[in-house]
Amino acid sequence: MSTGAQPTVNQIVIDPITRIEGHSKITIQLDERGEVTDAHFHVTQFRGFERIVQGRPIHEMPSIMARICGICPVSHLVASAKACDQILAVEPPPTAVKLRRVMNLAQMVQSNALSFFHLSSPDLLFGMDADPASRNIIGVARANPQLARDGVGLRRFGQQIIEWLGGKRIHPSWVVPGGVDAPLADDTRRQILAGVPEAIAAIERALDWHRTELAHWEEEAAVFGAFRSAYMALVDQQGNVDHYDGLLRVMDADGGWLADRIDPRGYEQYLGESVEPWSYLKSTYWKAVGYPDGLYRVGPLARVIVADQLGTPLADAELARFRERLGRVPQSSFHYHYARLIDTLYAAERIGQLLADEEILSPRVRAYADINSNEGIGVSEAPRGTLLHHYRVDDDGLVEWANLVIATGHNNLAMNRSVAQVARHYVKSARLEEPMLNRVEAVIRCYDPCLSCSTHALGEMPLLVQLLGPDGQLLDELAR
Amino acid sequence: MGSLLVIGYGNELRADDAAGYLLALRLADDPRLAHATVLARRQLTPELALDISRAGRVVLLDASSEVRAGEVAVRKLRPLPGGPLQGKAPAWSHHLLPEAVVGLAQELYGVAPPAHLVSLGVCSLAMEERLSAAVEAALPAAADAVVAIAQQEVAAELSRA
Repeated sequence: MSTGAQPTVNQIVIDPITRIEGHSKITIQLDERGEVTDAHFHVTQFRGFERIVQGRPIHEMPSIMARICGICPVSHLVASAKACDQILAVEPPPTAVKLRRVMNLAQMVQSNALSFFHLSSPDLLFGMDADPASRNIIGVARANPQLARDGVGLRRFGQQIIEWLGGKRIHPSWVVPGGVDAPLADDTRRQILAGVPEAIAAIERALDWHRTELAHWEEEAAVFGAFRSAYMALVDQQGNVDHYDGLLRVMDADGGWLADRIDPRGYEQYLGESVEPWSYLKSTYWKAVGYPDGLYRVGPLARVIVADQLGTPLADAELARFRERLGRVPQSSFHYHYARLIDTLYAAERIGQLLADEEILSPRVRAYADINSNEGIGVSEAPRGTLLHHYRVDDDGLVEWANLVIATGHNNLAMNRSVAQVARHYVKSARLEEPMLNRVEAVIRCYDPCLSCSTHALGEMPLLVQLLGPDGQLLDELAR
Repeated sequence: MGSLLVIGYGNELRADDAAGYLLALRLADDPRLAHATVLARRQLTPELALDISRAGRVVLLDASSEVRAGEVAVRKLRPLPGGPLQGKAPAWSHHLLPEAVVGLAQELYGVAPPAHLVSLGVCSLAMEERLSAAVEAALPAAADAVVAIAQQEVAAELSRA
């Protein structure tokens, strides 16, 4: 019998979430029966980069923007430099474009490896019911040393390329408006090429392992962000994946196109940005569908879904296996892990292809110009998804306005919906239990959100999980 | 047997937290350590386990709030193999404590060279890009401590020869 009264609300708070890049918390709303009514993924620090850069000259922009993040600085470097290219009205020389691609792909390798091997493989190896003390890189090293060595090796491969090209592995400033700062030396090319076969072998070992393990994760796959949605990524003119340039493609849950090969510089026509009072992270949505139903996903899963092909032999073969097993448009965000490995395989192969081209050694790597436009939009694929930098400058090239649309923002609606779905499945009582909490966190890790990009905060907090009663009293608490 | 590896780490934006990082930058140009490999990093990450496994001796340089401000402390790192690693690898991130990164070298590559941690006691961890006067003044003593460890390595090499 309905009493007509509103359910009393309890609240579980997970603060912060662990093993993601940055800091956030999750709140889970319970009614008086202990049933989950809603859940929110909060990003609680403020991002100020769009204001910080106002008044700065555009030639400083790539190196300033790279400071947004220590994990994916190259993505911001590339997107920023591309926006500046447009303001200068220059086209970087072909060799510069190839070198930018190499660096961007190297970052894909190292960042994807961090996500899969260091942050997510402990869950996948030990299971989410395992002792949290063993679910880390040390535990992986003991249980599956080859997996851990492969993670270390891939991270090192990607970071070393960035360091060799850019002079340092974090915050390199080699990508500049108009191209890159220096040509590639032949001995550096040889050093990088020498590492490609082992990188590919390491990714293939991880793929073999993950494919075998997938069958054990059917329950999680069924509730880890398993819902119909669109996916968005960049593709080239032929419809194949493109991490550096290209056109936007948006595929709906049935495999049809919401948009196919549209100019990403017209993003404001297609993408809306919403702000909720409980988070500093913007939620991006597909305008034609509206908010919040215009939810879409970006990142490695989107890239392997929307592209016709990837364009390298081993990655395309794996893509065929992926589609045979999961279909063209998998609904579950659990499969970000599988897609991330395919994305990494493509990146390693493509680095080898680009460096095999003799033109890569050309000394012509930079175009110079003054300010020729007051607006520029740079778009590329970051490890976590499509990244847009949009600047307006005055006639002296000083930034008047900037807008950044970050991959984690594209995924914000999907992450919130995923948390709610997992919570409804696993949160069944007023007691907090580690495996339940870890699954709530693990669904967020599927997206590999980079909150440094979207907030930029210093400091770390211990994990604190609280269960609050209807009048605010503490019912249960977990800390780690 | 590999050579001496020095890894200094810390955050340049947090005052004295950068002590290890900045000391590494100085030691990279120190002629007394011309034979050593010196790395400056923001934090200890699993990738460093490979470098450590290839070294004959390792010195880690870090800031410490457990050492009196402006003083230098040196201790041997005694991990492993088979030692307790729980709690040395935080579940929430990808950075490691000193014992863990040396232990990871043992776990992954079967080698954990002798390792020391040189700690500089901090005065300030505020958000600023300079060391406190006390920590700045302590850098030469910390450098001397690293050189002394390097000389021990040379002496050990000679005795083995």
